[in-house]
Amino acid sequence: MPISTNVAVRATAAMLLVGFLALAAIVGTTIWLVERNNVYFTETLEARIARATTVNLRNLLQDAETGQRGFLLTNEARYRQPYDEAVPQIPAAVDAMFTALQPYPEMQRNAEQLRSAITDKLAELAQTMELASSGRLADAIAILHTDRGKVAMDAARTEFVSIIDEADARILDGVQDQRDANIALRWVTIIGAFIILAVVGAAVWTVLAYTRELAAARREVEAANLGLEDRVRERTSDLFKANEEIQRFAYIVTHDLRAPLVNIMGFTSELETGIASLRNYMANRDDSEDLTFADAKLAATEDLPEAIGFIRSSTRKMDALINAILKISREGRRQLKPESIDLASMVDASIAAIQHQVADNGGTAVADIKVPRVTTDKLSLEQALGNLLDNAVKYREPTRPLTIKVRAALVSGNRITIDVEDNGRGIADTDHERVFELFRRSGIQSQPGEGIGLAHVRTMVRSLGGDITLQSKLGSGTTFTISLPRDLRVHLGSTTP
Amino acid sequence: MSTDVKPVTIIMIEDDEGHARLIEKNVRRAGVSNEVIPFTNGTDALDFLLGADRSGDVSKGRQYLILLDLNLPDMTGVDILEKVKNNEHTRRFPVVVLTTTDDQREIQRCYDLGANVYITKPVDYDGFAHAIRQLGLFFSVIQIPESD
Repeated sequence: MPISTNVAVRATAAMLLVGFLALAAIVGTTIWLVERNNVYFTETLEARIARATTVNLRNLLQDAETGQRGFLLTNEARYRQPYDEAVPQIPAAVDAMFTALQPYPEMQRNAEQLRSAITDKLAELAQTMELASSGRLADAIAILHTDRGKVAMDAARTEFVSIIDEADARILDGVQDQRDANIALRWVTIIGAFIILAVVGAAVWTVLAYTRELAAARREVEAANLGLEDRVRERTSDLFKANEEIQRFAYIVTHDLRAPLVNIMGFTSELETGIASLRNYMANRDDSEDLTFADAKLAATEDLPEAIGFIRSSTRKMDALINAILKISREGRRQLKPESIDLASMVDASIAAIQHQVADNGGTAVADIKVPRVTTDKLSLEQALGNLLDNAVKYREPTRPLTIKVRAALVSGNRITIDVEDNGRGIADTDHERVFELFRRSGIQSQPGEGIGLAHVRTMVRSLGGDITLQSKLGSGTTFTISLPRDLRVHLGSTTP
Repeated sequence: MSTDVKPVTIIMIEDDEGHARLIEKNVRRAGVSNEVIPFTNGTDALDFLLGADRSGDVSKGRQYLILLDLNLPDMTGVDILEKVKNNEHTRRFPVVVLTTTDDQREIQRCYDLGANVYITKPVDYDGFAHAIRQLGLFFSVIQIPESD
């Protein structure tokens, strides 16, 4: 399953978000549950305090009653001791109970009733103890018999029981709540842990899958790269072979064409020599009566020399063409020798070679070289430059002084351009590409030439890893621009297999 | 020809009969009157020079000068050169390689194999005729050993 970068990033972000939310939920719930627990604990504590104060009050009340009973039975002072000790504490205990019961408004009624019952009981107790102390024991017993104390005590007991039961119930509830909260906390922690584990697991899986896929993709790219390099090497080698074959073909063809041409030229020459002697012989014989002789004489003195003249000029032209092809094919076969060249001095030398021709009609040739050194094949560049300068001289506009400017500059891509600008007769727009073709010439054919020069220049410049273009306006001048790599070795390194 | 030079036979191995004829004409114009035996293929030439068994015994006591073209129909001139120069009877015969090829490596190879002169045929006839005539003059002055 392919995971695109986008999907992987989104999935990871989503998982991080889920993980963060789960963590936040766990922390929030835990804090809330702990808070709840605290509340339950406080409530339980309050309930216990309420229960304890209530039980304490009941004990005090029972002590008071016990003291009263003992004293009334024995009439001895030591039996009234519990009463004496308990009674002073009771008001404080009642207050404490009320304070403890404050959080339980529903028990206020019970508490009030209890207080009134306690007041009744205490009043009855105080009355009987008073009577008994002053020796009126029978009166005290009589009061006892009225059941007033018992009623009050029973009422108090009922209230005590209900308050204590209520408190117990609350304690139980509180404990239960605490336990529930603890259980909830445990579950929340467990579930949260599971969610976090799941998220972390999914994130780890995504990262691993993504990494695996990246690695696989990289392997594929590397393999493709390797294959591509091999293919490029293969194609380059094929091209190299094809190029070599074409050059060899041109070389062989030109060589084999030369052999019959030598014969044609040679025997034409022999023929010429033969005809010369024949013509001499014929010219000195005047035999006008013989008509066939007159025809033969005409043939020997005019027709044959004319025919031979045409054969000679044609073969000479053919020879020139074959030589041109041979020259170019030889140039292609030549081993290039990259060397560091001082371009400025090379241009100066090339200009010096044509200086006298330029100066003939008041012309000037100047150089402006902004490239210190280039590494290229000296001979090729020299020939190309010389050819362009020769052309500038050859095709100048006779009506104005010739101006030649040679400029060189560095351009991007570690290349240089060399401009050769003249103010010559120019090249018509339709011929801008044609002049670079072999045996093609442009404009008035006023100068001798075979149409090889620029074709040769282009071949040489291209073998140096460059190209040549021109800008021209008919009648006002031409600028040739040679573009070359600054270091031929880099170019050769990239093309040789 | 000076009288103290023994008559030398010129063996011309050249497949183009036109070239052969032109060469002979121009050699003659230089005043060379020696016998010229033309061959148009390598096999016939080797049969003549080394015999059918290629032992070279047939050339014993002869004096030859070999004019050799490299482009032959049945073998290259280099093969002939190698065989001639490796045979004890023919190895002292001067060999003039006269061909259209001007490849530097080919020239070096011929000299390495023992060629005595290498001449590239000029394409224009005047140059060609001139070169052959000078070669003829050269023939008229050189001494050629007799084969053992």
